[in-house]
Amino acid sequence: MNFWLSVIRQTGRNLRQTWATQFMTCLTVSLSVLMFSFFYLIYINILSAGNKVSDDLRLIVYLDEEPGPQLQEQLRLKITQFDQVQEVKFISKAEAYSRFTEQLGDNRDVLTDMPTDFLPASIEVVPLKNLRSLNQVKLFAEYLATIPGSQKVQYGQKWVERFYYFTQLLSIVVLLSGTLLILTATFMVASTIRLTIFGRQEELELLKLVGATNNYIRTPFLLEGIFQGLMGSFLGLTALYTLFQWTTGHFSGAGFLDLFTFTFFPSEIIVTIVLLSIILCTAGSYTSMQKFLRI
Amino acid sequence: MSESPATTRTAMIEMIKVGKEFPPNVTALADISVSIASGEMFFLIGRSGAGKTTLLKLLCNMERPSNGLIEVAGMNIHQVTGNKLAKLRQKVGVAYQDFRLLTDRTVAENIAISMEVSYKKPQIIRARVRSLLAQLQLEDKHDMLTGDLSRGEQQRVALARAVANSPALILVDEPTGNLDATSTAQVMELLARCSNSGATIVIATHDEALYRHSSNRVMKLHNGKLDSLTRGDEL
Repeated sequence: MNFWLSVIRQTGRNLRQTWATQFMTCLTVSLSVLMFSFFYLIYINILSAGNKVSDDLRLIVYLDEEPGPQLQEQLRLKITQFDQVQEVKFISKAEAYSRFTEQLGDNRDVLTDMPTDFLPASIEVVPLKNLRSLNQVKLFAEYLATIPGSQKVQYGQKWVERFYYFTQLLSIVVLLSGTLLILTATFMVASTIRLTIFGRQEELELLKLVGATNNYIRTPFLLEGIFQGLMGSFLGLTALYTLFQWTTGHFSGAGFLDLFTFTFFPSEIIVTIVLLSIILCTAGSYTSMQKFLRI
Repeated sequence: MSESPATTRTAMIEMIKVGKEFPPNVTALADISVSIASGEMFFLIGRSGAGKTTLLKLLCNMERPSNGLIEVAGMNIHQVTGNKLAKLRQKVGVAYQDFRLLTDRTVAENIAISMEVSYKKPQIIRARVRSLLAQLQLEDKHDMLTGDLSRGEQQRVALARAVANSPALILVDEPTGNLDATSTAQVMELLARCSNSGATIVIATHDEALYRHSSNRVMKLHNGKLDSLTRGDEL
């Protein structure tokens, strides 16, 4: 009988004998994976939604007076001095009026007695996609406010700030749940293996005395760790996928979830979560075994 | 005192000025020097507490000597570690005084352990287990848990496990303490067969009948010291 056949038999025997403890550990690992991947899934979907929304991000600079062609060119130069921009568009008073009437639709009658130049001229600045952080947008807005002839700068400041703080909060939640996953999975697997070792102390000591190598004693426990990590992450991700399918099935097409396309993890992230879970569980198992083998 | 067989055959065990002390200041063994040849059957006798079990524990590396040198198969066993120690232990079969059986495992599983660690094929393990159980008249106990056996049966299973892997050195602590005359004869026959096939056997015993009329060497310990070393039929 070769080494691997022998340790696989040992592992199978151990799993059979301690199935209840193994099952509880597997459940804990899967809950940890579920908890972490749940928040992570929300996080990446919010980020993706944020990317889509920020594609529409534009800063509007209201001007005192409508600039002529020469002044427009000067202003364009002044704006691009701060940073490269995707687009700078001048909106004349007439264009602003025309847009407004379109927006009013059937209620445009309310403008009948109003002059066509009562709305201010403005500049629409579409920043580059890399102008992502809130601070950068703020700084850009402050800079635009200093342009001669500028009355006011608007960019949906409150919304951008809320979104920014929301993603920050979500990052912290993901980070915390990730840390909890690491601690819980490692601790639980280490405890299970330690309990198994205590329960099998006599056998393991006998194995040493009859000439079992450290690898022969250790490998079944490492295989148990791998098994725990694999099964735990599989169950956790399956539960999350079921929850995801149920949520998208019940809430798609209406309300909040309709704002963006809700997607599941790409295969690389699934593989990473499974691998991470296996590595953590194996590490938990390894540390417990090392303590025993040092005795 | 008889001439040491180690002078004519290769020595399996070399002990030079070996001593063992336990804290605070209990001297279990002192100044033991002996050479045991390959294939020799060697008896350790002495009253309880004389140091027989301690000597066996030193030989199988369960304890470390406080001083002196112990070599088994040419290796200082207390300097060997890791895989080399594991390989060495595979060549040493030990039947412990307290048996050290896994009481929640079957007789067959207990005997198989010593062969599994050296990766013997399952069919070879099965055949060897059945053969040993037949020699010790325990065939019907094959699938019984060792916890359900009598002391005498457990003792024989422990011996079967010690010899199962055909080790070069067999250490046996009180092999017949719980056995009747028939079982004792079976055990001694099994050990004699192992000896004939080249294994060195060291037996710690109180049972005079085992060595009294044999030509095997007998070492008597008294309060941890070597009292006498002579042939059994010269006692």
